Amino acid sequence: MVRQGKRMRGGDSPEILVEMRGITKRFPNVLANDHVDFTLMRGEVHALLGENGAGKTTLMNILYGLYRLDEGEIWIKGRRVNIRSPRDAIKNGIGMVHQQFRLIPTHTVAENVILGLKEAGFYLNYRDINEKLSEIISFYGWNISPSARVWQLSVGEKQQVELLKALYRKADILILDEPTSVLTSQETTQLFATLRKMAGEGLGIILISHKLDEVMQVSDRVTVMRRGRVVATKPTRETNPNELANLMVGRPLITSFERLNKTSEKPILRVENLRVLDDKGLPAVRGVSFTVKGGEILGIAGVAGNGQQELAETIAGIRKAVAGKIILDGVDVTNKGSLFMIRQGVAYIPAESSKCVAYQMSVAENLVMKSFRYEPFSKSIVMDWDSIKQHAERLIDAFSIVTPSPSTRAGNLSGGNIQRLILARELTGLPGSSAPKLIIATYPTRDLDVAATEFVRRTLIQNRDQGAAILLVSEDLEEIMMLSDRIAVMYRGEIVGILEQQEFDVEVIGMMMTGARRGEAA
Amino acid sequence: MRSAIPLIRVQRRLEVPRRVSAAVSAFFILLSFAAAALIFELMGVSSVATFGVIASVFTNPNLLLQAILRGLPIGLAALGLSIAFRMNFWNIGAEGQLYMGMFAATGVVLLHEYQGLIAEPLVIVFMVLASFVAGGLYCALSAALKAKMGVNEVLTTLMLNYIAILFVDFLVYGPWRDPKGFNFPLSIQFPDYARLGFVLGSPSYEGLAMLLVVAFLVYGLMRHTTLGFEMRVVGESPEVAKHAGISYAKALIIGGFISGGLAGIAGFSVVSGIIGRLRPRASPGYGYTAIIVAFLALLNPWLIIPASIFFGGLIVAGDLIQASLKLPFAAVQIFQSIIFLFIIAGEFMKRYRIIVSWR
Amino acid sequence: MADVAWIESVLSGAVQAGTVYLLASLGEVYAERSGILNLGLEGMMILGVAVSFIFTNALGHGAALLVTMLVGGLIALILAFMAVSLRLNQIVVGLALTLFGLGLSGFITSAEIRKGILLSLNPNLSEAALVTQQAPKLPNIAIPVLSDIPLIGEPLFNQNILVYLSYILAIVMWFVLFRTRFGLSLRSVGENPAMADAMGVNVYLMRYIATVIGGMLGALAGAYLFIGYQPFWQEGMTQGRGFISLALVILATWSPLRAILGAYLFGGVEVLQFRLQLLGVGAQTPQFLLMLPYLVTIATLTLLSFEGVKKRIGVPAALATPYSRE
Repeated sequence: MVRQGKRMRGGDSPEILVEMRGITKRFPNVLANDHVDFTLMRGEVHALLGENGAGKTTLMNILYGLYRLDEGEIWIKGRRVNIRSPRDAIKNGIGMVHQQFRLIPTHTVAENVILGLKEAGFYLNYRDINEKLSEIISFYGWNISPSARVWQLSVGEKQQVELLKALYRKADILILDEPTSVLTSQETTQLFATLRKMAGEGLGIILISHKLDEVMQVSDRVTVMRRGRVVATKPTRETNPNELANLMVGRPLITSFERLNKTSEKPILRVENLRVLDDKGLPAVRGVSFTVKGGEILGIAGVAGNGQQELAETIAGIRKAVAGKIILDGVDVTNKGSLFMIRQGVAYIPAESSKCVAYQMSVAENLVMKSFRYEPFSKSIVMDWDSIKQHAERLIDAFSIVTPSPSTRAGNLSGGNIQRLILARELTGLPGSSAPKLIIATYPTRDLDVAATEFVRRTLIQNRDQGAAILLVSEDLEEIMMLSDRIAVMYRGEIVGILEQQEFDVEVIGMMMTGARRGEAA
Repeated sequence: MRSAIPLIRVQRRLEVPRRVSAAVSAFFILLSFAAAALIFELMGVSSVATFGVIASVFTNPNLLLQAILRGLPIGLAALGLSIAFRMNFWNIGAEGQLYMGMFAATGVVLLHEYQGLIAEPLVIVFMVLASFVAGGLYCALSAALKAKMGVNEVLTTLMLNYIAILFVDFLVYGPWRDPKGFNFPLSIQFPDYARLGFVLGSPSYEGLAMLLVVAFLVYGLMRHTTLGFEMRVVGESPEVAKHAGISYAKALIIGGFISGGLAGIAGFSVVSGIIGRLRPRASPGYGYTAIIVAFLALLNPWLIIPASIFFGGLIVAGDLIQASLKLPFAAVQIFQSIIFLFIIAGEFMKRYRIIVSWR
Repeated sequence: MADVAWIESVLSGAVQAGTVYLLASLGEVYAERSGILNLGLEGMMILGVAVSFIFTNALGHGAALLVTMLVGGLIALILAFMAVSLRLNQIVVGLALTLFGLGLSGFITSAEIRKGILLSLNPNLSEAALVTQQAPKLPNIAIPVLSDIPLIGEPLFNQNILVYLSYILAIVMWFVLFRTRFGLSLRSVGENPAMADAMGVNVYLMRYIATVIGGMLGALAGAYLFIGYQPFWQEGMTQGRGFISLALVILATWSPLRAILGAYLFGGVEVLQFRLQLLGVGAQTPQFLLMLPYLVTIATLTLLSFEGVKKRIGVPAALATPYSRE
């Protein structure tokens, strides 16, 4: 047997594995968890449902010892516990599979599993270890080799290694944070089968998700969170997607922004059959074509890692295309480099602020980082710090950046203010020209609080109304449907279809994100 | 309730106030004096006598002039390094670049002596230019390898140090040996027009003027030109630079060239200002001391001047200690490296606040 | 037959010269696998030379080797404290320690000071022992049967004890690194310290241990350089061998076994340069031949940076990055 045997005996009332009582967690400016109660039974798949920022992950990070709770109690198998670190959590039989896998790619599957395991002894007998692992692997019908290096595995297989880590440690409480966001549909199906089998084995499984369909499909019970609070806990069979959606959002799903001007007919950006390689030299974008008109937002939807990042970088001139063309305003600008694109009025908001903000330099210096070559900020080669400071003060005011002064180091700003700083720089045209012609925004509201998110969205809409062409890359379907005029869905480096506004449909886009072509998805 | 054991926590400081920074530096320099004294006493050397000699260097006007002169190559090289380090380019090769500068400066003198192509007053100008270019190209080589291929600059600049020293050895043991020099490995003695001190009477005065001018230029370059701005962005992160349309390779290679060029001029100042000829192992590690100075001065060009004069004074003291206390020159090297270690440790105190609480 | 003898002596020379690099890079493999770049290696090596020079003359080989490793370990402890606990820049700390090592080695070997140390260690020393720049060399021990193997027997199995120790260390250190829990933890700490920490590995402790092992072996390499290879003291006689060992670790792709080949390759370059001088090449100006090891190092680093090669060598992901649990 793989496990010690089923511990759930028929007739007995199911054992409570986890009980969290009155959990409260405050972050600066945010109450992430507000007196949350949560229970997990042995043998159930319990979905934790909510929008991004509802506090699901925070709650589970507390259970796994990554965050300390401010108030509340945690009971595990009837004992009150104090979980101060993941180590404590592991000791209590808790395993967690994070969205970003915590694996060492250069190590083998077996090495990743036994890392830190004192029971393994000094000499690692890989024959024994591999045998035990193979037993678990074949029990769940997986197809990974214990001696394979992790970097050689597919995403779904890496997730299996994460599960393997927990199973090998005999965890009976398993937390999965948005496990399907990186999976293909087949992999998702296989994962759900695995989860059901684990529940049957007597494990308790917590599934963090914001996707209604999968919650309905795999869970026994569902707890819905909104803005840091639990709004309901129900057996899944006693509820339906509509009710869950209402509980989760608490308001109509899509608010649309009013548009002031009509889209112009002139295409600003035309991409033809573009091919790009990723950092490892593998194809990331495989023959992508589309156009964006002035005054239009084209949303690029897709699960992260399907070539969107590389596509955006190539259009911004940061990455080289290996084939195809990028045409801006009728001019071929393929592989002209980032400086050229900046001069053409292309703004780029990267996914990570670390790629475009110099944290050790001042706010003023960061604000002028793209325009310092132009008068009045420099004359021939001499910088004019007075006009740079005035410029900074203007932008700090216009974009409501909260900073003690223009000479404060950018790294001391909060995340929301750093995002405002980036917008201020990117969306302000170079001296002598008006606003940018083309804006490439990738995940512009990721990790922002509500106010900052609202600000970013409004700013993008304003720019659209002023005639800019906008390419919006996002994973957040709600956001992309709210802002876009058209949506292109990317999967494995290709665009599987482009939808007009009247065709927008969560289900259809969701299906297309897992590779279904337009016709099949509808 | 107070327990017997204090609870010690460290907390990251967001912004380091200038006062804290200065106080911490001063405190750790004093600590390094104490540590050096301890080592000397352990070795059976009187630390009072040793420090007495060091102090005398800075109180005796003649010795102070010597200190300025020995500080000149250190300061010039450190000014160059301050540029490289701001770019996050770990140029450990100032020593080698300095030797290349000595080679080029000497080359100009020999060219004039044997071929006579340049007007006499211009020789020293050409010496400076040639040493700048030689040191600059030598450093730009490592910068180009890093920018274009990602070769680690720490190891390449280090290796190039050994190569440059051997190259100068080759010249003075071989083709550049003074034919009238009784077979000693020395070049010819430089004529007066090739010596520093020609204009103001003392190489120390001219050296100090040179330091001030170069510090001013470096400060202006880094703070007030677009190139300096680009180099600082590159130092922050290559990705950010690319985003801002700044060429990482260009900034790194140009910055590397200037950095090495200043070390090259430091080499010029050694042969023209201090020795007056080329000989093997002409630098007692000025290029390495310059690294310490650049850090001690927090990469600030103006602070580099007093810091380099202080270390120049240590070298003068080293010579005196050898003669009067029969101590090896290495005593000064120990002292220098201990100061270095303590300045680095001081960085921790600047970045973190230590909180001791009794609970 | 003369040719065979010549080849044997060249190979033997390559092993003798290469052992310096091997011992140093073995230790550095451990340090770097744990995420610590030890730029102080050169300083630890030269201190190893100086300490073994003094202690061999005062107390003999055994004591010299012990004290040498102790001193190397102590200096490495400073590095570990500053780089791991204080999270300071490893390049700068390492460089400072190299300068310290160079200074201290020059200081303790200078005539007066050395005489004082020697007398305090052993008051009965003769006047000759107090002023000598040399020390007795470790004897070669021919291993029966093995040393009779044609061509490679003599070079590999008629060497001194430290050479044999380096063979054993390479194998044992490889085994520990790849086949034990300790080795797995060590490698994980250098790849992803945050994760290793979450899995219950003591990141700081592992880094301290690896750094100290690196320092001890670095100093031992210095001791070998002196009493096992060139027992004639010259100030700064390591001539960058510690730095070259750093490059060798990259060539060995952080594997103790592959370090053997790299070390003997560089040993071979060193021997070649002597042989060429003996043959009259560059007799007047040997400087260009002396440049060879440094040029080969730069060439090696450059070759290893070519796109295709770079992807395959896999530098420890957290090398030279301090870790804190913030």
